[in-house]
Order: sequence, then structure tokens, then C-alpha cells
Amino acid sequence: MRESLVIFRRELKSYFLSPIAYVVGVLFLIVQMGFAGFFCLIDRAQARMDGFFTLLPFVLVLFLPGLTMRLWAEERKVGTLELLMTFPVRIGALVVGKFLAVMAFLAVVLLFTLVLPMMLTVYGSLDWSPVIGGYLASLLMAGAFVAVGMVWSSVTRDQIVAMLLALVSLALLLGIGVTWFLDLIGITRGLPDLVDWLGMPRTIGIAALDVCAAISPYRYFESVARGVIDTRDLVYYACFCGFFLWLNALVLHGRRQKG
Amino acid sequence: MIEVDQLEKSYGFARALKGISFRVQRGEVIGFLGPNGAGKSTTMKILTGYLLPTAGRASVAGFDVVERSLEVRRNIGYLPESTPLYAEMRVDDYLRFCAEIRGVPRQKRNVAIARAVELCALQRVVGKNIVELSKGYRQRVGLAQAIVHEPAVLILDEPTSGLDPNQIIEVRKLIERLGKEHTVILSTHYLQEVERACSRVIIISQGLIVADDTRDRLIAQLPAGAVIATIRGPEPAIVAQLGELMPGRVASVLERHDGAVTVRIEAGDGRAPVEEGVAHLMVKNGWGLVAIGREPRTLEDAFRRLTLQASQEAMHA
Repeated sequence: MRESLVIFRRELKSYFLSPIAYVVGVLFLIVQMGFAGFFCLIDRAQARMDGFFTLLPFVLVLFLPGLTMRLWAEERKVGTLELLMTFPVRIGALVVGKFLAVMAFLAVVLLFTLVLPMMLTVYGSLDWSPVIGGYLASLLMAGAFVAVGMVWSSVTRDQIVAMLLALVSLALLLGIGVTWFLDLIGITRGLPDLVDWLGMPRTIGIAALDVCAAISPYRYFESVARGVIDTRDLVYYACFCGFFLWLNALVLHGRRQKG
Repeated sequence: MIEVDQLEKSYGFARALKGISFRVQRGEVIGFLGPNGAGKSTTMKILTGYLLPTAGRASVAGFDVVERSLEVRRNIGYLPESTPLYAEMRVDDYLRFCAEIRGVPRQKRNVAIARAVELCALQRVVGKNIVELSKGYRQRVGLAQAIVHEPAVLILDEPTSGLDPNQIIEVRKLIERLGKEHTVILSTHYLQEVERACSRVIIISQGLIVADDTRDRLIAQLPAGAVIATIRGPEPAIVAQLGELMPGRVASVLERHDGAVTVRIEAGDGRAPVEEGVAHLMVKNGWGLVAIGREPRTLEDAFRRLTLQASQEAMHA
């Protein structure tokens, strides 16, 4: 734990010294606040943050890979990973330290978006409980995304490759949980049809869709964002993050075998 | 302090280490020599707990590198090849980070950092960003990082590669000083480094240890050096008569100067009394002997001989 804190501090500091992190942070704020602000303020009749939180998962998918790509890939490229892994620290502690550092940086970026609910309180009376739920849901979701992005960063020394792999996999993870998206591209009907055509009962296709939706963080995001904290959602996020952080440690441990 | 027993490491089908064994006592400074790709870095990476061996055992400070990796890592300081550093950090911040992560207790941290800074002569750059430093300073930051927690064992992978001659001398002096307090293994291409600082030399080639001895004894195993004689007299006669005396071994003329010639005579098996023969010719012909001596044998010669031998054997095998 102590070691994780040391790693956390160094990593967070290097985020604040890194131009990429600033660019990503600022672009994220411009896109998120631009669109969400537009939606929220145009809908002036109600002081609500729905637009903001509906948009956020998609913007996170777009920008989080830019934050996670450097975490291991850069260390591998420069060679500091070798030194890092000869410090008397368990690999798990390294992973947790880095994970917390990205989350802290992201939390700082999200703090800037608080401008929006504050403005809304000026326009009308804002119900803060879904807002707080929304932010909590966003952090949980971001944690899941970061855990996935970190795994990709650990499998390559090329940051761009890590970013692209993270981007594609996060888009997929999110996409399989977004019903209107699946409706739009025809999967909702198409998959059962395909299963039927293959001569198997349609229910298998429908079950597959259900499994996808259960895996995707999106549904859990929606549920927490409504302001209802369900233990099942928290357990889901804990398992999801835990699995990918564990996978991350496994990949790094594998490097000791291969060299 | 370090025990390595039949250590093997394969990368896929490539066998980087084919079963090496050696021991290092407390306080020794070991020069780890070998051509590129011989297995030096692989050995060091296993000793630091970074890489896992394919077979065999190794222990540092009494701890097995596989089973007690954390304890091993607590007892070593490591400078990897090419000195990786966090370029965006300040020197003092970086050393503090290393001290913290190495578990130097809070109240001792400042003292430990000050000691490392002083030993590595980093006083002038402690407040600078690492990215601004010259290669020599970076190397010293890398060394400071390796000693900040006062480890029992120092493992330095090519600590002087890429430095200019002045910087090499500085780093070499530093290593000599560190050798007084730590057990050191250093790998290098610069043999002078070993001549000065190391108490023992391990030469590795093609994944096998080809020599493990003190510098002097390695050199003593070499064939005798060639005789260099400067003789005043007629050059054709000198060359002809020396050639008669020691057929096949004589006598390239190295230099002509003031009516004297300098010739080089191979020592052959080392038992032939070359000097005596030369003196005999002097007396017989009335020539003047200006100077006579043996070519010095160096660790470089031993290194070339042993590593070439090993690569030839590997080719035949």
C-alpha cells in the first residue's frame, strides 16, 4: 500500500508535467462541455444534467485512451520499466498506484465540469442527487475504462498502438450495452435472425444479447447515474476493474519470463 | 554474497545462458566481460529479479532470486544498460522517489540522498530536470539511484558506455570508491575499467563462462610477449642473421632511427631464449644494442583469445 502511494504520487506528478495529459484534458473539456452545455442550456425549461451524463460515456471512450496509453508503454520504451520492476515492490502495487494516478487526474479534470451544474442552479433549482449519482457513475465507468486501457498499454511499447487498441475495445465494450445503438445498426434483430438461420433457437441469440448487455459497463452506468446506488452495480464495477487490473499484473509478470 | 549455479536462460529457441556458475564474496568487485550478446545483461537481469531463469539457481545475499525475489531486490542496487531515467523529473525528486520506493525510512531519507549526491558529485545539478543533463551526469544520477538505499550488492550494466574519456575516468573513480563499501558486479566493454577497479574478472562468451580469475592470473596464462629490440648496425645483416637464428619468427622492422633499427621477434612457445640469442649476435657482429624488452601482455589479449576460442568452438559444435 505504501509503495502504491509512492508510485501514485510520482505518476500523478508526471501527468501534470506531461503535455499530452493537458491536451487530452482540455480537449475533453471542450468537447464534453461544448456539447453537453449546449444540450443542457438549450433545454432551459428544466435545470437538468441528463444531457451531460448521456454524452459522457462516449466522450470518455474517445479521450481516456489518450491518458492510459503512456502508463506502461512509455516506461517500456524508455527502459524505466526494468528498473521499476527491480524495486522491492509487488507488481500489483505498481498497477494499483498507476491506476489511482489516472483516476486522480481524471477526477481533477471532471472537477472543472462542475461549472455546468453550478450555472444550472443559477437558472433554476437543480436536483443535486442525480448529479452526484451521475458523477459517481462516471468515475466508476471511467475506472472500468482505465483498467482496460492500462492492459493495452502493457502489451506494447508503442503508445499509439496502445491508444488505438484501447479506443476500439472500449467502443465495443460500450457499444454492446447501448440498446439504441444496437437497434440502429440492426444487431438487436439481426443476431437472433442469424441464429435462427443457422438452425438454432432464436432464444440463444436473444440470450447472447442479454449477456453482452450484462458485460457492458453501460447499463450499470445508467443505473447509478439515475442516483440509485445498487450494491450489484458496485460489485460489477469492482469485479470488472479487479479483473483487468489482475490481467495487467499478469501481462507484466509474463514479461519476466520472456525478457 | 552472490551464488549462481548452472543458470540457464532461453528466449524462445535462442539459448542466451547455457549453464553458468560462479560465486562472489562480500566486498569483491567483479568485472563481467564478454562480447555483445554473450549473456552479460541476461545474467544481471536474472540477479536483479527482473527476469526469471529457465533452469538453474541463483541467490543474492542468501535469498533465491525466484522464490525470494522481493528480499533480493531489497538488497541490490541496479543500473540497467543505457541508464533509463524519468526525464521529466528533477534530480532530487527522482532520488527521493527511489529512496521512498526502496523503503528508506522517512527520517533517514535526506541523509541517504545527500550521501548519494555527494558520492556521485551531483551537487551542481540536484535542482535540475534530468532531461537537461549531459550524458555523464545522467550516468551519475543512475549510479546515485542505485546506491541511495545503501544496498549490499551493486549490479551495474555497462556503467561507462557512451561516455567520453573524461567522463569514463570520473565514473571509474566513482566505482572504485563504491567498491570499498559494496559488493559490485559490473559489465563493460572497456577493459581498462576492469584493470583498475576489479578484484576479479569473469569472462563470458556464447552463454558460457570461459574464464573466472584475477586479472594478473588471466594475463599470466597468455603466451609470452614478443621481444622488441633496437639494434645499431646494418639493417640487411641484422634482419638476415636474426632470421637465421629464429626462423619464421622474426623480425618485422618497426622503425629506423639514427642508424638503428627496431625489430619485433615473436616469442614462439615462450621457452626459446630470445634475448640471449640477440645478445649473442650483438657480440659476434659488434653491433650496438640500444634497447631490448618484451611487449606487454594485456587483459585485452586474454579477452580476445578466450572469447574467440569460445566462438570458434561454438561454430564447430
